Amino acid sequence: MEIQRDEYALIKECVDGNAEAYAVLVDRYKDMIYNIAYRMLGDADTAHDMAQESFISAYAGLKKFKNDSKFSTWLYSIAVNKCRDHLRGKRPHVPIDEIAEVACSAANPEEGLQSRQMLDGIQNALNALPDNYREAIILKHIEGLDYKEMGTIIGIDAGTLKVRTHRGREMLKKLLKGTGVFDGQR
Amino acid sequence: MDNDRELIHKLLDGGLPSDETAALMKRVNSDPDLLEEFTLLKEAVTVIEKSERKQASASFTSDVMRRLSSGAKAERKGWRNFFFGERIFRWNMAYAAAALLLAVLTAGGIYNFRSGGQIPYSALDKSAVTVKFNFYSPDAKSVSVAGDFNKWRTDAGVMRREEGGIWTIKIPLKPGAYNYMFVMNGDAWITDPEAAAYHDDGFGYKNSVVRVDKL
Repeated sequence: MEIQRDEYALIKECVDGNAEAYAVLVDRYKDMIYNIAYRMLGDADTAHDMAQESFISAYAGLKKFKNDSKFSTWLYSIAVNKCRDHLRGKRPHVPIDEIAEVACSAANPEEGLQSRQMLDGIQNALNALPDNYREAIILKHIEGLDYKEMGTIIGIDAGTLKVRTHRGREMLKKLLKGTGVFDGQR
Repeated sequence: MDNDRELIHKLLDGGLPSDETAALMKRVNSDPDLLEEFTLLKEAVTVIEKSERKQASASFTSDVMRRLSSGAKAERKGWRNFFFGERIFRWNMAYAAAALLLAVLTAGGIYNFRSGGQIPYSALDKSAVTVKFNFYSPDAKSVSVAGDFNKWRTDAGVMRREEGGIWTIKIPLKPGAYNYMFVMNGDAWITDPEAAAYHDDGFGYKNSVVRVDKL
């Protein structure tokens, strides 16, 4: 609650014209937003651009921010929408049968979990998920959010998000099985 | 079995009570297929949850602030350019003709406005002669001139009060003879005492007459 009060004060300063107060908020949430953008987009440069766009859009819309929600939740929803807009029409649909091959191609069972190729394998598996499954998996298992907050961010009910998360897990299981990623963590 | 799969997902969601978890794990451990199912799902979740968290670049915050600053400057510059920026106008004969027509109509409109309003004669008529009407009445609140040239409208030829109580107006008139009268305070019709000629109006009054000769 203390952090939230501090954030509301910073937001008020920004709205009153003190742009430097915004730098504190950007610094606080830059890694969180960059990480979710990277996981959704799978490309460092594009994630950097989308994360920056998210903060710029958030600044422009600060007057609309309502203090009845968390600033981080509001930022998440802006970033998710930015990534969705970017992905829409950008990526060709990958048939489900080809997804495992995509994930396999980047993972090497000879190397450990923290190896670059293995991390690429995890990201490739995420990239291969349908967009709405991927965002559910990222928010649930990478950002560690509950379904209620996820619903606020994505704008749909918790029940639908549970279904998407369950299906996303099943697809990830199929994608990662046999890539060596599982062997690497044992 | 299907129900247990649902419960496995509920467990991975973090929403399964401990007693149900214990009962589920007992069934999972006794069923090799279910155990493999559970193990693979659990590993998939663990791999994702333990994956490296990406960090933004060291210059991320300053980059955002610089973009915000340059955006604000561009917005200010945009407004300044809108009002004070130099522009190159490309034109053709049609634009030029339209601009000339607009200028002429505007000049005519201003002239008519200044001379008291809607006079039904074109100020552009080369044969028109500007005629100045004068009426002395230091006590009048308003005076206008109404006649053949403005269809006897009392609101058309509104005269301007000058020093010494003299009311005046200039009206361009084509050559010809025109009947007119002054209207004082909106309702008192007065014949011009200094008119060049007079003409009976058939109602017991005399109209003033002004004659305009060709130049």
